[in-house]
Amino acid sequence: MNSPLNINDLSVAYQKKPVLRNITFDVPEGKLIGIVGPNGAGKSTLIKAALGLIPRLTGSVEIYGRPYRLQRKIIGYVPQRESVDWDFPTNALDVVMMGRYGHLGWIKRPGRAEKNFAMECLDKVGMADFAARQISQLSGGQQQRIFLARALAQDAKLYFMDEPFVGVDAATEKAIITLLNELKAEGKTVLVVHHDLATVKDYFDWVLLLNIELKAFGPTNIVFTPEKLQETYGGKLAMLENDNQSSLIIT
Amino acid sequence: MLDELKIFLDPNTQWILFGSMLLGLCSGVIGSFAYLRKQSLMGDALSHAALPGVCIAFMLTGSKSVFFFLIGASIAGIIATFGIGFITRHTRIKQDSALAIVLTVFFGLGIVLLTEIQHSGTGNQSGLDKFLFGQAAALVLSDVLIMAVASIVLISVCILFFKEFKITSFDPGFASGMGFPVAFLEQMIMLLIVMAVVIGIQAVGVVLMSSLLVTPAVSARYWTEKLSVMVFLSGIFGALSGMAGTYISASGNNLPTGPIIVLAATVFFILSIIFAPRRGLLSKLLIHLLAKRSVKTSKVKIKGKERTV
Amino acid sequence: MKKKFILTTFMLFLIISATTACSNANATKNNSDGIVNVTATIGMITDVVKEVGGEHVNAVGLMGSGVDPHLYKASQGDIKKLDQADVIFYNGLHLEGKMVEIFERMAKEKPTVAISDNIDRSTLRLGDEEMETEYDPHIWFNVAHWIKATESVRDSLIEYDPAHKEDYQENAANYLKQLEELDYEVKEKISTIPESGRVLVTAHDAFGYFGDAYGIKVMGLQGISTASEAGTKDLIELRDYLVDNKVKAVFIESSVPRKAIDAVIQGAGKKGHKVEIGGELFSDAMGEDGTPEGTYIGMIRHNVNTIVNALK
Repeated sequence: MNSPLNINDLSVAYQKKPVLRNITFDVPEGKLIGIVGPNGAGKSTLIKAALGLIPRLTGSVEIYGRPYRLQRKIIGYVPQRESVDWDFPTNALDVVMMGRYGHLGWIKRPGRAEKNFAMECLDKVGMADFAARQISQLSGGQQQRIFLARALAQDAKLYFMDEPFVGVDAATEKAIITLLNELKAEGKTVLVVHHDLATVKDYFDWVLLLNIELKAFGPTNIVFTPEKLQETYGGKLAMLENDNQSSLIIT
Repeated sequence: MLDELKIFLDPNTQWILFGSMLLGLCSGVIGSFAYLRKQSLMGDALSHAALPGVCIAFMLTGSKSVFFFLIGASIAGIIATFGIGFITRHTRIKQDSALAIVLTVFFGLGIVLLTEIQHSGTGNQSGLDKFLFGQAAALVLSDVLIMAVASIVLISVCILFFKEFKITSFDPGFASGMGFPVAFLEQMIMLLIVMAVVIGIQAVGVVLMSSLLVTPAVSARYWTEKLSVMVFLSGIFGALSGMAGTYISASGNNLPTGPIIVLAATVFFILSIIFAPRRGLLSKLLIHLLAKRSVKTSKVKIKGKERTV
Repeated sequence: MKKKFILTTFMLFLIISATTACSNANATKNNSDGIVNVTATIGMITDVVKEVGGEHVNAVGLMGSGVDPHLYKASQGDIKKLDQADVIFYNGLHLEGKMVEIFERMAKEKPTVAISDNIDRSTLRLGDEEMETEYDPHIWFNVAHWIKATESVRDSLIEYDPAHKEDYQENAANYLKQLEELDYEVKEKISTIPESGRVLVTAHDAFGYFGDAYGIKVMGLQGISTASEAGTKDLIELRDYLVDNKVKAVFIESSVPRKAIDAVIQGAGKKGHKVEIGGELFSDAMGEDGTPEGTYIGMIRHNVNTIVNALK
């Protein structure tokens, strides 16, 4: 039984500066995994290296036992939202259909089947009414949902999401996490780069603490401890004890 | 009216007309992608870069054959695209600066070579300075045939790879993640731009070519929110500019065809800015006025209830 | 510390280049072996200078065969040749359109003579409005004008170098005789073309004087200067003229690209009238050095023979 994602001794450098160093971990199937760490920890880099979007110095990445190049069709990816030109002439449905391009392969045009599937995905994120809306006319939260729907359309077994909760309203955040749990219920694995420490315990089964090196990886209730967090964030973490609940503030 | 249309039965006019329309069509189509990828300056850079290619082709072959010139222009264009890519990938220089550097260096070299050739003792004038501003009126059937073949290739590639071009232009990171070879696709788009430039510089010249790559695309953007419609419209605007340019140039004396085509494209652009629904100035003005009026009436209603807003 | 170093080096560099430039300008003085250094622009003038000046001048031309003087931009090497000259001759009337400022500058230091200056303006053709040329500059095609130009060269050389006055006068007299014979020869040969066929069609309007002086109708595609671009209507009008008047041949030029003329010919072909290329004419430049067409007289003769053979 191959794990969805196996990373072994991964190192990535940017102009001689190490961004990721000797990262090794093995992901269990069907879990929601949060990736947390301070700014510049290499969280986005980790995802991009896993997908082969940036070159790596050492190490291997295997998805269900095979290199990522061969497994594109079972991978879903939600990149950071700013990487797109929102004035592009395309509407919500069109963007979601792009998630099917990988399955279509070269030259083949998306047809009715793709369109219907895309509508279903839009529906799952509650954006079915916005199918014909040009994307620049959507709010931040709506745009995020479109990206999510696009990843759903990829119909993957393993999902990578880069800060999907940034800049979205409470309702959207709730919708996203509900969706993630649905995916989990279907046996899919989701890795999420996450910025908000306060919600890690509520959202994620497992957590990966990262600061250039892997600080901890395992079930949240075991690994997400103050000591481990101090290790990851260095001195930048202040803890407030309050009625048995620790509030974490990053300084 | 019928009398004026007779102009289009004239053989030379037909060649100029078809050549200009094909040129406009191609530049419009590939220009849309360049525009959306924020690479409009690329067309300018590539057309300026073509000049040394044309000069070197002449210096090497000594022939005035347009075929060799086009090969030289293509090679220079391709080298320029690699140069731009190299500079952006391996230095801290951003793409717009890299484009400007390549443009000026290549064009400067081209002018030096051109001056060299002008000073040389070869008894035949090379006709190279015609590449600066083009000579659309001198298009003949063989030119049109070459342009037609190139157009068919360009448009076919754009249709076949439409979704690949779309996703590469919209979200290259995601496209790459899905397994599309983004660098290869981007290079393909650049090659098509080179092709459009090489077709076009005979007619409108190096200096004006970039306008045909930019203006129809920008005009089309105003009319639609769908990429497929935009690319189609852009091609149509380009072709119509070619047609209008030919017609006007055929109607009066001393009206050089190439520059008139460019002016026609600009007119379409201005009309688009003003009259396009939703994005056009007139439209926005109307919406603004209507909105103002509805605010006023709602203010009145509120005031009626003795409430301050 | 680093900034200071860069600044100092830069200033030194500026000073050194400035002094070098100045010294270059003063380096060329008249040489003492009695030979007059002359720099001319177009080959036709250079040829005249050689004929009139003989062994007493060292004539250098800037524009060789096949070069278009309307578009010619002087290079650093050209400036040097102009600097080293004792006397400069150019055509004037805006032929060397891109060198006007250079001539003005040179005129402050040495005799810079426009050989067209002593031609009566009333005998000049009017120029192209849009190209800002007041007069048509292609004066060499009327041999009578070139006779006047030769006199101008002779007089300027005598003024600068009175020691060799007699030689210049003798050389000039010889050459002027040849020119007068040439003028007669051209008139004779042209008259052998039947009147209805006396139409000279070329890529640009260089032959206006030729047409006026020798009774032949001249039509060009581009205006007086090659710097303009032909429009669709202009091309069509020329083509229709050829078709309607059954003109047998058109001519291409050595210094002008032939693409536009080819388009005219192909268009005429489509309209059912076959037009041939009568031959290549020398318009703004002569033929190669060392060939008979590389002299003024040879050039005119070649043109006339080509025209007559094609149109007869």
